[in-house]
Amino acid sequence: MKKHYAFLVDSEKCIGCFTCAMACRNYYHQVEGVVWRHVYPLGEGIYPHRERAFFSLACNHCENPACLNVCPVEAYTKREEDGVVVHHQEKCIGCGNCIRSCPYGAPVYNPVEKRAEKCSLCHERLDAGLLPACVQSCPTGALKLVDLATMEPGNEIQFPAGFPRNEKVNPSTRFIMPKVPTLVRR
Amino acid sequence: MQSMELPLVLFTVLSQAAVGMVLMSAVRGFAGHESGSARNEWTLVAGLMGLGIAASLFHLGHPLEAYRALAHLEKAWLSREVLAAGAFLALAAGAAAVGGGRGALLWGAMLAGLATVVASGMTYAPPAFPALNNALPTVFFLISAVVLGAGFANWFAGPGSQALLARICATALVTGLVVRLAVPCVWLSGGEVMRLSGLAWLGSPLYWASIAVLAACLGVLWKNRTIPVWLPILALLGELAGRAAFFAETVHTAVNIGNLY
Repeated sequence: MKKHYAFLVDSEKCIGCFTCAMACRNYYHQVEGVVWRHVYPLGEGIYPHRERAFFSLACNHCENPACLNVCPVEAYTKREEDGVVVHHQEKCIGCGNCIRSCPYGAPVYNPVEKRAEKCSLCHERLDAGLLPACVQSCPTGALKLVDLATMEPGNEIQFPAGFPRNEKVNPSTRFIMPKVPTLVRR
Repeated sequence: MQSMELPLVLFTVLSQAAVGMVLMSAVRGFAGHESGSARNEWTLVAGLMGLGIAASLFHLGHPLEAYRALAHLEKAWLSREVLAAGAFLALAAGAAAVGGGRGALLWGAMLAGLATVVASGMTYAPPAFPALNNALPTVFFLISAVVLGAGFANWFAGPGSQALLARICATALVTGLVVRLAVPCVWLSGGEVMRLSGLAWLGSPLYWASIAVLAACLGVLWKNRTIPVWLPILALLGELAGRAAFFAETVHTAVNIGNLY
């Protein structure tokens, strides 16, 4: 079975420190205002506790990517060997159709290049046997790289509350939801 | 509120006006009415589509590479939209050059025009906008095409066609107003992002300006029973305001990540 790399976001372990987002920025030096990885706090409707919980999200490297399907110039490809969705910026004409179409807001507009761009799952690092910059930097082990083809089923879920449910594009990211915090009464 | 996408507002509305004019030309032909000035009419059709396509280029980061947008006809509705709009422009320009579109030229332009409207409807119905990820954009665009097409075609129609065009325009205006008023109210009962879209539309001055202008057009038609010369311009302004609300106020799923959907 072919590899299918994906991010595993463990919200029980995530402390919302933004190290993953900063590592991404430090590695790629995106222009001001362009962010590939976001850390979203979970709202009270989903996690109604004094403790906070987070989703660290970038591109989901979907099985059937909306960006790839709508791009009129074929600037997106999905790598056969590991399922990574790659944006070839030199082909992009900056029409913004991928930005409008991705339900997860992964592609963003680079106002300097006047073209879209997005997380590449650090495929050049993967090819060199390294982890993606965000995964490598996570101090709590909350962000992991997994291979969906070989991952043993556990308590991971694909569509937690707070994450758009779009089965058609079939996002690869998996989540472990935070536990209810222990209340200590005196 | 997102970007108003003015180039896309201009492209979609002007292209739909051009397609609507061709549809009305065909309707008048089926009714056995002759056109007053076919060359001028087709020149306006080609001009509107040409202007729309030119406006759409300003939306691109790299307009000079726009020709490459034809590369993904297999899957991308945007590529198909570009192809259909280009074919329509070529046919309309050809019809203007030969003094009016009849027969195969008219049928070809009509098919290419309908393909443009449908491809636009599919392009602007992406999965990221639950409120629009359905047939609604195509319905909105077809209604705009008929309203504007009937309005502008009236400039070139003989006296025998004017009552017919006024009836078509009035029917499309009533349909458009009902759809536009009902849709955001229906969205309020949907999921969270759809509900936010409904609230954004109902709170949008652009949306209400569009409703008010199109309702005024309907009132004028009701009173006069014919289409005054200036009415298509007023309807065009109403459609432009409505389309700006369509692009600016509809809510993207990503804005609510981390909250309930």
